[in-house]
Amino acid sequence: MIQTILDALSYGGLYGLAALGIGLVFGVMRLVNFAHGELIAIGAYLMIITIDLGLPLSIIIAVAGTAALALLMELSVFKRLRLAGPSVLLIASFGVSIFLQRSYEIIFGALPISGQIAPWMSGVIEFGDTTITRGSILTIILALALLAGMRFLVENTTLGLQIRAASSDFQTARLLGVRSNYVIGTAFVFSGVLAAAVAFVLVTQRGSVDPLFGVNITILALVGTVIGGLGSLQGAALGGFAVGATISLLNSFLGNYRVYSYTWLFILVIIVLLIRPSGLISNKAFKERA
Amino acid sequence: MSLLSVRGLQAGYGKVQVLFNGHIEVEPGELVGIVGPNGAGKSTFLGALAGSVRPSSGSIEFQGTSIRGRKPEDIVRLGLALVPEGRAIFTDLTVTENLRLGLTGRRDKSGSAKAIAEVTELFPVLASHRGHQAGLLSGGQQQQLAIARALVSEPKLLMLDEPSLGLSPTVIQDVFGVLNKIQELGTAIIVVEQRAHLIMSVASRTLVMREGHVRATLTREDARDETKLAAAYFGTGEDRE
Ligand SMILES: Nc1ncnc2c1ncn2[C@@H]1O[C@H](COP(=O)(O)OP(=O)(O)OP(=O)(O)O)[C@@H](O)[C@H]1O
Ligand SMILES: [Mg+2]
Repeated sequence: MIQTILDALSYGGLYGLAALGIGLVFGVMRLVNFAHGELIAIGAYLMIITIDLGLPLSIIIAVAGTAALALLMELSVFKRLRLAGPSVLLIASFGVSIFLQRSYEIIFGALPISGQIAPWMSGVIEFGDTTITRGSILTIILALALLAGMRFLVENTTLGLQIRAASSDFQTARLLGVRSNYVIGTAFVFSGVLAAAVAFVLVTQRGSVDPLFGVNITILALVGTVIGGLGSLQGAALGGFAVGATISLLNSFLGNYRVYSYTWLFILVIIVLLIRPSGLISNKAFKERA
Repeated sequence: MSLLSVRGLQAGYGKVQVLFNGHIEVEPGELVGIVGPNGAGKSTFLGALAGSVRPSSGSIEFQGTSIRGRKPEDIVRLGLALVPEGRAIFTDLTVTENLRLGLTGRRDKSGSAKAIAEVTELFPVLASHRGHQAGLLSGGQQQQLAIARALVSEPKLLMLDEPSLGLSPTVIQDVFGVLNKIQELGTAIIVVEQRAHLIMSVASRTLVMREGHVRATLTREDARDETKLAAAYFGTGEDRE
């Protein structure tokens, strides 16, 4: 029972991190970045490839590399599409996503590459009769730390103020002097850092990485950002958490019928959206990009 | 040398051209009005000056240097600030946060605290609502916040797009009273205003726009001449007021 709750919390935290990464970029440029999954994948690849250098160095390389790829996406593709509408951006992000998946296939091969990342994460802690996995506890701690860190950054720094302003009305923010390229660039970098954190947790669970490594969680995190309310960072994190926790709970309660987890999840999603079409936390200041 | 000197400015949205001939001269510390019917291109003109609408041709010289084609975030740093139509304050943020955002456009960051203190002196109501969510302010208070937020960047030229929109006559008086004070502090102002009489009584010159062209420039004396005003405004002699 305790393990079930911890699993739900850790899955929730993990999906919350993924959704926040997507929500950050969506906030400042109204881009639904499907290629976020490929950021998660490169984080996992980098970790597995460099794990022989020791975990700390491997993590640093993965975080730096993932953030760099996120920034590269922005500079090489999305920056050139500033004047394009949301649909063009959406399709471009599909293009980037597929391009990266194929590139990973060419560079790393289509088959999964395995590696032992932080094997201690899969150990258990015993409390008398109950045992709980270390991974779930550490994931919860990691997610809480990152969510709190992002919250501090967004709520209490000048950069965060500019991100919030740019997220609700980009044009007006620019008129006040907010540097558009800088704010968007940093949002991509942060989304890369969050993607690397997600990659770390996922790769310790799965022990291998393949070109489609990040696709599943990205789709579910996207669902989370929609449920949470597009355009609100809090909403994105909360929506991601809700989706992750629900999936985890469905998996444990459905037992052998867990193949139907996703069916139930999407039934719940539809119900939530019917009741609150603009998401759990709707952002009043949310404005279509002109 | 004029503070702002604009000639033959053209701009539009996508393939649709809206502004065909925008021109204006503003001297330091001067208050210039722009009037014209809905859809005349007034907001587009101001947007083109502030950099949020991309001009396709013409020249914009601000303090002797060309700023045409520059980004809005750079233009505000040069001292040309726009308060857009409909206030555009950040309703989710507090009054203080809105003002702090205005500081982004300052060239000299050292005087930030002083600048905020000065504008709250100009708009005392903002001081008493400091920590409140800006969306909870009344329309008039929001307009004052939008003006104050632009002022903390210490612009040489402040452009206001229909500051009276949706405000009651007494509040409009307040807002225009503040414009006088701002002008006295040495800031030049351009005001777009539907109510021709209102603006012509305070502006040294008022431009009349129609269908994307600046059609006439009226002086304060012209304001008393109803037929001249109506002719410039509607392009005919009829009086609709
Ligand atoms: N973002 C936009 N995209 C496309 N067309 C626009 C846009 N903004 C304005 N227009 C068009 O440009 C023309 C001029 O609009 P503009 O807002 O400049 O006029 P205005 O003189 O400010 O009018 P108002 O007095 O109603 O504010 C209008 O025909 C309008 O439909
Ligand atoms: Mg207008």
